[in-house]
Amino acid sequence: MEFSLDIFIEQFARTFTFWWVILPSIFLGLVVGAIPGFSAANTIIILLPLTLAMDPETGLTFMIALYASSRMGAGIPAILVNIPGTAGAAATPLDGYPMARQGKAQQALAISFVSSVLGGLLTTIVALLAMPWLSQVAYYLHSVEMIVIMIFGISLIATIAARDTLKGLIAGFFGLMIGYVGADVVYEAPRGTFGFLELYDGVPLIPALVGLFAVSEAFAVIEGESILTQRGRELMQKGGWGGTIDGLRETLKRWWHVVWTSMIGLVIGVVPGAGAAIASFVAYQQSRTFSKTPELYGTGHIEGLIAPEAANNGVTSGTLIPLLVIGVPGGATAAIMAVVLQYHGVTVGPDLFMNSPELAYGPFTAMAVTYALMMLTVLPLARYMSNITVVSTVYMAPIIIAFTLVGAFVPREYTFDMYLALGFGVIGYIARKTGYHVAAILIGVILGPLLEQYFLRALRIAQGDVMVVFSSTIGNILWAMLLLSIIFPYLMEARRRKARDRDATA
Amino acid sequence: MSKSDSSFSRRGLLKGAGAAAGFGALSTLPFRAAFAAGFPERNINVYVPTREGGGADRNLRAFTGVWKKYLNTNFEPTFYPGAAGRVGYETYMGKAAADCHDLIFGNMGPEVLNWVVKEPTFPLDAYFYFAQVDADPAVMFVSDKSKMQTVDDVVAEGKKRTLSCATSRLAHPASLGTLALGAKTGASFNLVPLSGGRNTRAGVTTGEVDFGCLPASSVIAQTNLKVIALFEPKNTMPDLMPDAVIVNDHFGMDLPPLVAGARAFGIKKEAADKYPDRYDMLVSSLEKVFPDPEYKEAVIKTKAPWELIGYGDRKACAEYVENITRIGTEYKSLLTGKS
Repeated sequence: MEFSLDIFIEQFARTFTFWWVILPSIFLGLVVGAIPGFSAANTIIILLPLTLAMDPETGLTFMIALYASSRMGAGIPAILVNIPGTAGAAATPLDGYPMARQGKAQQALAISFVSSVLGGLLTTIVALLAMPWLSQVAYYLHSVEMIVIMIFGISLIATIAARDTLKGLIAGFFGLMIGYVGADVVYEAPRGTFGFLELYDGVPLIPALVGLFAVSEAFAVIEGESILTQRGRELMQKGGWGGTIDGLRETLKRWWHVVWTSMIGLVIGVVPGAGAAIASFVAYQQSRTFSKTPELYGTGHIEGLIAPEAANNGVTSGTLIPLLVIGVPGGATAAIMAVVLQYHGVTVGPDLFMNSPELAYGPFTAMAVTYALMMLTVLPLARYMSNITVVSTVYMAPIIIAFTLVGAFVPREYTFDMYLALGFGVIGYIARKTGYHVAAILIGVILGPLLEQYFLRALRIAQGDVMVVFSSTIGNILWAMLLLSIIFPYLMEARRRKARDRDATA
Repeated sequence: MSKSDSSFSRRGLLKGAGAAAGFGALSTLPFRAAFAAGFPERNINVYVPTREGGGADRNLRAFTGVWKKYLNTNFEPTFYPGAAGRVGYETYMGKAAADCHDLIFGNMGPEVLNWVVKEPTFPLDAYFYFAQVDADPAVMFVSDKSKMQTVDDVVAEGKKRTLSCATSRLAHPASLGTLALGAKTGASFNLVPLSGGRNTRAGVTTGEVDFGCLPASSVIAQTNLKVIALFEPKNTMPDLMPDAVIVNDHFGMDLPPLVAGARAFGIKKEAADKYPDRYDMLVSSLEKVFPDPEYKEAVIKTKAPWELIGYGDRKACAEYVENITRIGTEYKSLLTGKS
């Protein structure tokens, strides 16, 4: 599994010859990523007969291009109409949508595209170079450590609650409560399902996501003529390429931010079963913690958009590492890829690097080429895509509701899920009107079940000893970092206040 | 792999798309003719109480890919993995039509154990299995990095400390076998359900748990895992599981064969009683699949061992269900954590 520069260069050049697979896959991925309910994983399943008809290398290139571009595609509706295409983009609207409302949709899309591409490219290269070491992460981050990582993400609720502590915490705990609906992971005992079989697997994520964000947004925007503010409308009338260039420049100026937030995504991606939703919330929380202007987060702050987008694209290459190196898929899409490879008689694992280096290194070079081609093909579209924000709410609201209801139906094909999305829409609308933050509810819904799963697993392994959460060295280091990241903003604020007082008295 | 090897090229893509469009238009014609002749009047819906992409999915696709030729219709699987498959069964019994067009394709072992642990909302004799398609034995396995490389190592270590054992779910034939081995030898095993084969293999591979238990086919495909014990009277795949000992022989036990993967088609009793001719047609057409070389080819292509494939009729299925229910009842307290 030693990295060989010759093999990499040869493989990279070879991957470019698959441009005819990559380009259509990019646009397909953008579309399926942008439609809630669709994802790379279920698209690959739908297209399985086509994928199985390809030779393994072509099939793998197709799946990788689709995977990477769908990740980027999920951010587009999150920014333009407050609908995250997948759970991995759930943190994107926090700052992306306010930018769109301010008439900066083009700039926001450009920032999302550039940070996705740079984050994706960088982590792909790092993944390739550091594969032997990164693959070891899965051996050290077990349930105990994942509990702390989950709490990193969940602590974002406290951040959101900072503006109105009581309401923020109520919203967060309400989300966590919803997250625990369903059968428990040990004894499969149903809890809070009210007898609905459809809730035995827990509250389905996509209906909750689109209901809380999109349906409630549709209810809210119909009260006005446009989603844009007055100033936003003026800005949108200017047109031109200014927003794209500005977005490109602003992202490149914050290159270091892209680097470290995408690395968070890469490391979390390597852990089997973690994923883009966790990575984007953790990256957002960390970005805000160490920001000089934390008060701007949630108002359309550039760094608040860069962090989740760079992180969720970092996850993409991360999930491939355990699949290829130790034969354990890092996520749902990687698991489907394993099925396709197995069908072709390819067994993933260390031997793959010796037996079929083109298949072992191929996914990474395919990902790098995909990201490079996306920069050229998708970035220019930001200008045109941003025009969606000028559509009158008379048309926008019903389109949003129609799309989201279809999206809610697609993953499980239950009519129940459409009603659920509408129910969450009403909850979201009431929350908006009464000053409760829907993002805080959603964090609970997304991360709550995962936290519970890791916690129960750790408890089960430790035979009920609660102190297991402090039983690992890495876990304890993570606990210390968590504590630090929680108190750091208060220390910084105290320091700033002291400086202000000093200046005032001087 | 050279480019010339590729079965899918730019030109191929265009040709394939054209052919697919033409075939799609033409392919409806014979089906319509068949529909007009009687059963089946439409596609057969198959309720699958597990996730897509797993062993059951792979098995079902290989089987129905050939069965459709004999039944002259297509099969439409829908997956309901919730609550250890319980959602799939409840949905099937609640929503499926009782006209022989709706079947369930489940893994009899773990799913029957569900009913031992917690009774369903429907009467258990309201459906029955009529065709078992494989028999995948329950095994114990370790990571190749583990200090324990044999079942004797595991038992010896289990006598010193409680070992964690990953399983896809508590109520599973493989879990039963592991608990029975612990009870017999005095070793202490703590079952950790990790929801599905993928997570179970990951738990063992990454060292979070000490060892695991699953159906054999899902373990032997992963080269860094080693099968160390088998809950079957005979090792039918010695090449793939060279280090697996027969638990009954090795430890002097008399456990019945614990077939952890016993995938089978089931049907509502009402449907079979109301339409016996349709039911007979399902069975007679299904039986033609097993000797068909095309089926063997399809199974081998999915990398599933052909040795595990075999037909079990309604009677054989009933015997299996009765057997696994008896063992499950015996170990119910261990499976529910109420021991």
